[in-house]
Amino acid sequence: MSVSELKERHAVATETVNNLRDRLRQRRLQLLDTDVAKYSVAQGRSPVKFGATDLVCCRTLLGHTGKVYSLDWTPERNRIVSASQDGRLIVWNALTSQKTHAIKLPCAWVMTCAFSPNGQTVACGGLDSVCSIFSLSSTADKDGTVPVSRILSGHRGYVSCCQYVPNEDTHLITSSGDQTCVLWDVTTGLKTSVFGGEFQSGHTADVLSVSISGSNPNWFVSGSCDTTACLWDTRAASRAVRTFHGHQGDVNTVKFFPDGYRFGTGSDDGTCRLYDLRTGHQLQVYQAHGDGGGKLPVTSIAFSASGRLLFAGYANNSTCYVWDTLLGEVVLDLGELQDSHKNRISCLGMSADGSALCTGSWDSNLKIWAFGGHRRVT
Amino acid sequence: MASTSGSVGAEVTGETCSSLAKSSLPPPRPKSPPEYPDLYGKRREAARVQMLEREIGYLEGEIKFIEGVQPASRCCKEVSDFVVANSDPLIPAQRKSRRHCRFWKWLCCVPCLSLASFCCCCQSECSCHLRKPKCCNCTGCNCAGSKCCDGSCCSNICCCPKPSCPSCSCFRGCCCWCPDLSCCIPTCFRSCSRPSCLNKKSSCCSCNCKIRWSSCFKCPKVRLCCCFCNCKNLCSNPYCLAF
Repeated sequence: MSVSELKERHAVATETVNNLRDRLRQRRLQLLDTDVAKYSVAQGRSPVKFGATDLVCCRTLLGHTGKVYSLDWTPERNRIVSASQDGRLIVWNALTSQKTHAIKLPCAWVMTCAFSPNGQTVACGGLDSVCSIFSLSSTADKDGTVPVSRILSGHRGYVSCCQYVPNEDTHLITSSGDQTCVLWDVTTGLKTSVFGGEFQSGHTADVLSVSISGSNPNWFVSGSCDTTACLWDTRAASRAVRTFHGHQGDVNTVKFFPDGYRFGTGSDDGTCRLYDLRTGHQLQVYQAHGDGGGKLPVTSIAFSASGRLLFAGYANNSTCYVWDTLLGEVVLDLGELQDSHKNRISCLGMSADGSALCTGSWDSNLKIWAFGGHRRVT
Repeated sequence: MASTSGSVGAEVTGETCSSLAKSSLPPPRPKSPPEYPDLYGKRREAARVQMLEREIGYLEGEIKFIEGVQPASRCCKEVSDFVVANSDPLIPAQRKSRRHCRFWKWLCCVPCLSLASFCCCCQSECSCHLRKPKCCNCTGCNCAGSKCCDGSCCSNICCCPKPSCPSCSCFRGCCCWCPDLSCCIPTCFRSCSRPSCLNKKSSCCSCNCKIRWSSCFKCPKVRLCCCFCNCKNLCSNPYCLAF
């Protein structure tokens, strides 16, 4: 076949793809008979109301000397690892605020960090395009340098996010500026699977975030600069199971809903959205009003244990809205509380038991928020 | 060699030369370079077409799938039912009597043994910090609440030996991060990324720019200043410096 014939086929195929996508979009619109907020109002759900001292900052973790970019909780033992512009990972005891480890990184340009399920290793990645693994039982020298246990190299772009597969200390998933996600075997340092890429069906721009399902660790979702989120099955890497459209800007953050069948996203278009994994439906849009028409980019999100609350950090000074996910309303702004951060909140994480939220900020601090009063919800 | 067709001693004219040339090979004329087959481009185009045709197959499958999909209202019900059925430590149910408040207050005022007691005392002078059995010596320390010495106190300025290091943090016995204690500034690490740092011997931090990059790469989405010490071209995106 000649090149000109191929180009003609390309044009025809492109038009067919666009027509099919249109048909799919129209059919989905027909199935969107309601959203979560309208449904909940019809059910008579009462709103969540926070008093002035109901959610308070219980701890401020001081120690970083640069912007905090990422944090992660251990599944147990109440520890947090954080990564900062100062080129260090710090491991904190969340209860006492004490630092247990301060790891000086070989590459200071770190963007993400994660705790292994057993809490014995931490992983981080960033501009060096690799994911580095550190064992917390290794001895640090006086500068805080801990030897790297393993380097996971192979990405051709920066590593934007990493997460260990739940209950598997030997596997983790990274997302990258090279438009792919990779499942790694930490023991060997080799790639197990690559999701997406130049000639595979997947994201068509930088991938910024991943979240692995707690109830089905074979599933994970990714968010990308191509404005979509994708659902992947680690057992079938050839293409995404489903692609979720709707956002009009980069999808900066994705997080599974506690039930494992829905997930939330946060985007540069200023909205958070709730999607259903199995049907692909967009169930709710959470868009703030005011402050530039609700166009403040969302940097990070986290769900409370029941899923009733969605915490969302935005790209301005300290705003962190707490959304009532059922009624689609903002019920609190952590940025307006006492002892709030003084700069943008860049990362959020809920503790495993759901009793505390940790926020990390460009003001170089981390804060832990917990319930400080009593409230009735009907 | 004398021409056989011309007179002896006659001046050789162009006409004579051209007649000579006509009898030999035609003069060379410049030709266009041969058209080599653009294999790489053809294969790439074929791959793109194949990818699109595969996408068509997937989309057709998705359209068939969606014919049997439940409407969004059923999913909304599932979400609502899940939320209502599960407890949430950040939204507890109301307690009937004030005894509960005293219980939480008591729990807050003993060493916390679990994250479940990550509460703050209500109506206490220790409103946002738990009262610890041991306080570090917070003389002159910038602790919130005069009688409430948070465990993180020792990580604050009260431990840093140098008053000129207000932003430095302490770790395991009050060592500021910067190797040179006389210069603890938050920008210490950031300055290591500037090209001029290579030639500086003693600065506020050890600017050993060990990371060598062969070329500047495109600024990633997070708007990082992607050029390191030996990289000559700064990224033009003004947000690069905001990292």
